[in-house]
This record gives sequence, C-alpha cells and structure tokens, in this order.
Amino acid sequence: MTHTLHRSGTEKSLAVDYPILAIAAQGINSKDAAPQFKKALEIVLKHNPVNFGDMKTGNYFRKGLKTVLNSTRINSIVHGVFTNKKDLEECLKELRDADLGPSVVVSGLFSEVWDSLKRIGLKPHSLNVSLGVFGKKELLPEQGILDITTMCGHHCVSPLLVKKMISDIKRDKTCIEDAARELAKPCVCGVFNPLRAERLLEELLSKF
Amino acid sequence: MLITDVCVGCTRCVPYCPSGAIALGRDKKARIDRNKCIECAVCFNNANCPVNAIQLEDLKWPRSVREVFATVYKEHKDTNVPGRGTEEMKTNDVTGRFRPGEVGFSVDMGRPGVGVDLKDAEKVCMALAKGGVEFEPLNPLTFLMSDKKKCFFSDAAPTERVHSCIPEFKIKEDRFPEVLDALMKVAKEINTVFSLGLCVKVNPDGTVPIMKYLDDHKIYYRPDGKTNIGTGKPAAKF
Repeated sequence: MTHTLHRSGTEKSLAVDYPILAIAAQGINSKDAAPQFKKALEIVLKHNPVNFGDMKTGNYFRKGLKTVLNSTRINSIVHGVFTNKKDLEECLKELRDADLGPSVVVSGLFSEVWDSLKRIGLKPHSLNVSLGVFGKKELLPEQGILDITTMCGHHCVSPLLVKKMISDIKRDKTCIEDAARELAKPCVCGVFNPLRAERLLEELLSKF
Repeated sequence: MLITDVCVGCTRCVPYCPSGAIALGRDKKARIDRNKCIECAVCFNNANCPVNAIQLEDLKWPRSVREVFATVYKEHKDTNVPGRGTEEMKTNDVTGRFRPGEVGFSVDMGRPGVGVDLKDAEKVCMALAKGGVEFEPLNPLTFLMSDKKKCFFSDAAPTERVHSCIPEFKIKEDRFPEVLDALMKVAKEINTVFSLGLCVKVNPDGTVPIMKYLDDHKIYYRPDGKTNIGTGKPAAKF
C-alpha cells in the first residue's frame, strides 16, 4: 500500500501537501488499536486538516465527521491532510505526546518534512522513496491531470472526472472549490488534498 | 458491476469510472465494457445514479480477483490489511520488517491509473524470480502464485485485469543494481506502467544509504515520499 507515495507535481505545488496516517501492525499492536485511531483522528481534527478519513470507512466528504470518527477498527488506517508545516508540526507533536501505539507516517517533500521533524525533536525512522513511473508511459493521461489524480494513490479519481470538472467550471455549472470537493469524494482514504486540487484546476483551466 | 435496463442515459456515471469503461450504448443507456471494468465500484459509490441502475454483482472466480485488487476498504482475508499491499515501511518502527542493509521494493503495477492485465504482472514477477527474488508472503498478489519460486499464477488468474497490484520483496542492498536492471528490462515488455517505490531504514546518524547510491549513479527519485517518524510502540529492536 503505497497510496501517498507517488503524488506527482512540482515542488511548489507539493509544498502545500502533507498527508499523515496512523496504522497498527496487525498481530503486534492492533488488538486495542480502535480507540487509539479515534484519538489520533481527534488530534488531527484540532489542526485544520483539509481532508481526513479512514481506509476502512471512507473520507470526510462522503461519510461525514461523526461516521469517520466513530467507526474505527483494529485494522483502520486513519489519515489527515495538512497544507502547511505549522499545522503538521503541531499535530505531530500532539500525536507524539499522546503515545498512542500505532505507527505514524508523514508524506510530503522530504526536505520540508524532515525540517519539521527536526524542529519538534523527532527523526526519520524509515523511508519510502519513489523512483517514478516506468513502462508504457504513453498510456498515461496528461501531467496536469496526473498531478490531481495521483492525490488518490488507489486511483479512484478518474482523469475523465477531472476533465468533466474543468468543463463544468468553464460553463459555470460549478465553482473551483466545489469541483475540488467532488474530486475528493472517490478517494476512500481521505488523502486527496482539495486545496491543492483547487490550485491545480486553476492552472488547468487555461490548458483545456 | 452491472448497469440495468432502468438506466435513463443521463451519463452521470460515465466520468467517474477510473478505467473509462462506461459509455452510452446505441440504445442510449449506459453500458459497462466488462473487459475494461476493474470492479472498483467507484461508479456505484460516487455517481449518485438517479434511478439506481448501477448494481454490484456477486463475482465468481476468476473475475472476483478484480474486486480483491480494486476495493480499497476490503481487507485481505489472510493479512487483515485493507488495500492491495502490506504494511511495508509504514509499521517498520514496530515490525522491523526492513533492517539496516536491506532494500524493500514495491512495484506498483498499473499505477497511476492505467490498470494491469495479470499476465503482465506474472511477467514481471517471473523476471524477478529468475534473479532469485522472493516475494513478500503477506502480499495479496503472492497468494495468487501457484508456484512461488517460478511465479506462475493460479489457473485463469492471468486472464484477468486489475486496477493495480504490487509485487513486493526485499533484497540485500548490494543486489540493488542487478534487481533494478531486471526491472528496467522487463518494463519494456509490458503493456502497462508501474510506479517504483523503495523502502529503507534510516541509519542512526540520519543518512539514507540508498539515496547516496541513487545520487552517485544519477538515478532520479522524487523529492517527496513517505517518512515513518518512529513513534510506534512497542518499538522494534534494530
């Protein structure tokens, strides 16, 4: 499951994109993890996430706050997405101090994430590094579309839906903010960043 | 997935399909191309069909494989882990799965968004197996292998197409060049794409051995990725 590893885009656009997750090791620290995941989500919610969710339940935009918060299980994988380092750091500090048990993983620009970890007295333990895409790359959609769709690492956000949203915005059938929220809905885990999507949609409006 | 005859042809579901498998038929009703459909249920869960024409099917083997590799929230029956892979480095601070001097590979086949015929996944696994790679036993794809040494898949499975699947394995760091070379060669023989990820334990002094190798050999890696922050408990001993 590398669902927040291969998010494509420029460093500038990735600088507003910091998904985090909490996960238990099944059979090691999973037995009492359900309430710990709820606590982790409660901490995430205090620090202005633009999206959150649980891989076992769904995301905020489809399931709503109460359902996501009250449905955690021993094999949940809970997520939150932050758009700046200050919120990320405050959240990580609180998660560290809560000492919940499940592992915590932060995605984002390594330079920025490691800077944040250093600032709050933490160190990177293990890494997941992306070498990019190989094979028949001519099958891929346009890069600008990919920068949006790869924010759902399970690829539940369709390139056709991105194009539909661009078309709807141009015809005043929706606004950029609502289009970004609609794109966030199919991403079950809640790791799709709607704020970054808004910015990317703005750029794409002139290209399609 | 099925679209029944109550469909009114509004086309609302068409753009939601990640595989582009839904189109309007001559009868002006939406139809699903069953070869392209990867049974992800994104249309069912998100398109809000006004007449509930989209229906889930009770899938039988081998088509059921598509659902296993597409439905995000369903856990694998043998691992209890939801999704298409394993916990990999996400719980490494607790499991110690990746030790110093080891490199984990995740070959995300069909990603981003292209999909993959399992015969192509089999081709990649067989190429890696020739070099002695042993696949992660808890990965759902490994469960499909009827011969785990040669990496033949179970009968009929190679005829299926899935959203994505992830051959996962780990090697000693000194084997990295030969394994990467094998992957680059087989990449030219498949009718899809893969996104390649590496998992490593950071050294106590903060250095990352594999990154030094990548830098020295001018191998591109993305500036962003995933960092396990090491706060999981009980902590694995390294």
